[in-house]
Amino acid sequence: MVDVVLSIRDLHKIYPGGVHAVKGVSFDVHEGESVAVIGSSGSGKSTVLRCINRLIEPTEGAIELRGEQINTPSANVNEVRSRIGMVFQSFELFSHLKVLDNVTLGLRYVRGMSKSEAEEVALDVLKRVDMLERIEAYPGNLSGGQKQRVAIARALAMKPEVILFDEPTSALDPELIGSVLQTIRGLSDEGMTMVIVTHEINFARDVADRIVYLDQGKVAEEGPSSIINQPKTERLQRFLSSMHEEST
Amino acid sequence: MNSATPGIERIFSWSSLDPKSRVVILVSILLICSIPHSSGQETITGWNEAESWTDHDLNAAVIHGERVWAFGDSGIVRFSEDSGVTWQNHTNLGDVDLISADSYQNSIAVLSADGIIYMKEDLESDWITIDSSQTGMKSIALAGEDSLIIVGNAGLIWQYADETWWNRTTSFTANLHDVDFNGAEDGLAVGGSGTILATDDGGSTWDYRESPDPDSTIVSVSYFNPYRMFAVSDSGQIIYSTSPGGFEWQLREIESAGYNTTLATNLSSIDVVSSSRILFTGPDGYLGLSLDQGLNVERNILPVGVNSSFNDHAMFDFVIGIVVGDSGVILFTDRAGENKDIGFEIPDYNNFGEFVEYADDMLLDGFIATVKIVIFGIMFGFIIGVILAMLKTAPTSFKNLLERYSTKQIKGIGTICLVFGLWLIYSGLRRFPELQLNGIEYIFTPVGDPRGFAMFGLGIAVSLVSTQFILADEKLTGPLFKIRPLNSLATVYTDFFRNTPLIVQFMFIHFGLRLGMRIQQVMEGTFGDPGIDGIDYFFYGDRTFLSAIFTLGLNSGAYQCETIRGAIAAIPSGQMEAGRSIGLTYMGTMRLVIMPQAIRICIPPIGNEMVNLVLNSSLAMVIGYSELSRQGRLMIATTFQIFSAWGLVMISYFVVTWTLALLLRRLEEKTKIPGLGISGGA
Repeated sequence: MVDVVLSIRDLHKIYPGGVHAVKGVSFDVHEGESVAVIGSSGSGKSTVLRCINRLIEPTEGAIELRGEQINTPSANVNEVRSRIGMVFQSFELFSHLKVLDNVTLGLRYVRGMSKSEAEEVALDVLKRVDMLERIEAYPGNLSGGQKQRVAIARALAMKPEVILFDEPTSALDPELIGSVLQTIRGLSDEGMTMVIVTHEINFARDVADRIVYLDQGKVAEEGPSSIINQPKTERLQRFLSSMHEEST
Repeated sequence: MNSATPGIERIFSWSSLDPKSRVVILVSILLICSIPHSSGQETITGWNEAESWTDHDLNAAVIHGERVWAFGDSGIVRFSEDSGVTWQNHTNLGDVDLISADSYQNSIAVLSADGIIYMKEDLESDWITIDSSQTGMKSIALAGEDSLIIVGNAGLIWQYADETWWNRTTSFTANLHDVDFNGAEDGLAVGGSGTILATDDGGSTWDYRESPDPDSTIVSVSYFNPYRMFAVSDSGQIIYSTSPGGFEWQLREIESAGYNTTLATNLSSIDVVSSSRILFTGPDGYLGLSLDQGLNVERNILPVGVNSSFNDHAMFDFVIGIVVGDSGVILFTDRAGENKDIGFEIPDYNNFGEFVEYADDMLLDGFIATVKIVIFGIMFGFIIGVILAMLKTAPTSFKNLLERYSTKQIKGIGTICLVFGLWLIYSGLRRFPELQLNGIEYIFTPVGDPRGFAMFGLGIAVSLVSTQFILADEKLTGPLFKIRPLNSLATVYTDFFRNTPLIVQFMFIHFGLRLGMRIQQVMEGTFGDPGIDGIDYFFYGDRTFLSAIFTLGLNSGAYQCETIRGAIAAIPSGQMEAGRSIGLTYMGTMRLVIMPQAIRICIPPIGNEMVNLVLNSSLAMVIGYSELSRQGRLMIATTFQIFSAWGLVMISYFVVTWTLALLLRRLEEKTKIPGLGISGGA
């Protein structure tokens, strides 16, 4: 049995306005596994993802990282976050810093590395995402795809135990999506543990080891990537056909 | 690998300027430097040279009735009957050098180097000769009309009284150089090894007085009155005693010599002519005058061609007199030798040149003073602004603070706080009746008893919050848990400073709280007396300066806080999330991610605020700080040139603010983030 890296137990989130966005979601993420979370807008995918590294405090339920509950007041939230990488839909690069400094920031100020050590690590990860040529550029001068690859490098540099992708390609032009997906696929091949919230059904099927389909804040269907081709529930079937219609 | 660290690069450097700018700067500096400095004044000597009809050195001069006498080498004697303007020959007294002379009422006595004393007991009587049989004597003094004191080498003191010589030599055997009497009883004798001897019985007995510098050779002494005794040493020191009888002597710290204890010349004699006016002689044409007991000594300008060493003054009063010196030099003055300013006239301030000549120093002082408070005020205001903005945006609520505790613990904390809060209310309320107010007058309590009111107000706040703590449920849902205490604190501060006029704040802080004085006292306690010059004085010598920077800073901080807060709000929330998601703390993300971007955004509005601060600094005039506006008013008080004075002041302000704006524009360009702002052409 492979180790469980991340375990989500009966997660609930009620927003201050009273919206019950997540209604008891549970699933596990194993070592080296990529899990794709799919679902229509408002199904609570992003909320679940953000609850994992506590950018949103869950109302109820437990999140365990390697068997240790991390959503208690006594858990060191900064330490936990440094072990969980996060890639945002809108990149969120630090616009006042050059590409290299974006990647080294966490290494220097969280990991306490010296500047030269941090740069060594940063150059290594930037090479992996194929951004070595632009290390002196500011984010404002990069294309969307390049930005997202830098964001992935920033998350990777911290050597996280799991990386969360929050719709990494939805803000990108169709022709730029390819390079980002390529990068993520590469990571998956290297055995990185990942949770990917995505709209790219084909990508989810190709890359993900497992699919979690959320509907109205609940796990409606869960299974290997083959469920995309043979959905068991009617709801997933409907969702997939609506996605198919959209893309044609 | 070269990469920029997060931080602000150097804004100005010579090497980064383009050649055109360099030329403009250099030419401007050259032009300013080459403007000729005109001075309408010239200073000339206050001395006139008299014809002495001799080339012999003149050693002593003395007033005797209407006459003034001068005595010199080889028995030379000259006298003048018109206050030293014209001189007449007199038969030589012996052929030995005459070295010292003194007069008392109608008597006059002269000492020659071989110990012979020549004396006249009346204005018109003949000279009589008295032989002391002593050699090596240096100075003579008359103690009454028929008593003589002579002092000399090896501490010898002889008194001639009742036609007999008495040896009054003490156990102190340093060479004595000068003796001086005030009246017939009180006298002083001085000499080598810092020797000071005093008598109060006409010279019969002498007592030793401790000298402030036992190594110096005291060459001349002047006993003006029992509260004013001065002496000089051959190394240029001035020592003085203001204690009756001359019991305590001190070394003068001479202001005009930079608080040194020595004038840079070897003094040879001192004459005290009034309670504040002192004349000095020295070698190589040195004549000095002090108008304030030696605190400031100004060197006399001498007539052209005179450069002898001077030996002795003889003054009829505090302005009219003569000085004699080597090579037969005699100078006379009717202004104690004080340098004369010529070309001085009542300035016509309608003439703009003369107005500027008067006003430029004041304007420069004001300009420096303004720049000084502005720089400190901006730094202080910015720091306060940043801190307040961070406090205001801090998301930490009571709920966040208390989450880690169990409900039981929270209820416990609440109970303790409630007791404390109620005690505060009680203590505050108990103080109020002491104010003896009636009914509605109690609204003035915050001013009448600030401490009591603070206790009362704080007590109510603490009680309310702690009641909420006691009523806490599992989820901490009560409304008061949402209170963000840091935010509330900052809000109280900014509300106060933004809703009261700055001019009132200036007066309240300086005169009411006396903040400047308190800070100055603390600084004095820590770093010592600020003096009247130098770095200590620069920082805390002026209490209006301290009050002014604090008022300006505190006030500007409140406004800057809102600006910076706005800029923080303009940073996408994802930036904080991104920073937190790589494991940075809240403060770490603020420092490394949010603030660097927010500050860049708010440079234009902060610049606005800083320009405002410069202009607001003019209000510091109400507490008496001598910045530009106050200097403007002082200029007008003297010159009545209202248009010119305010015109210059206005231009000065413009220069300060415009430079500041230029700097900020430059900073803005230098720190611009690629990808932000308008692009895509016009």
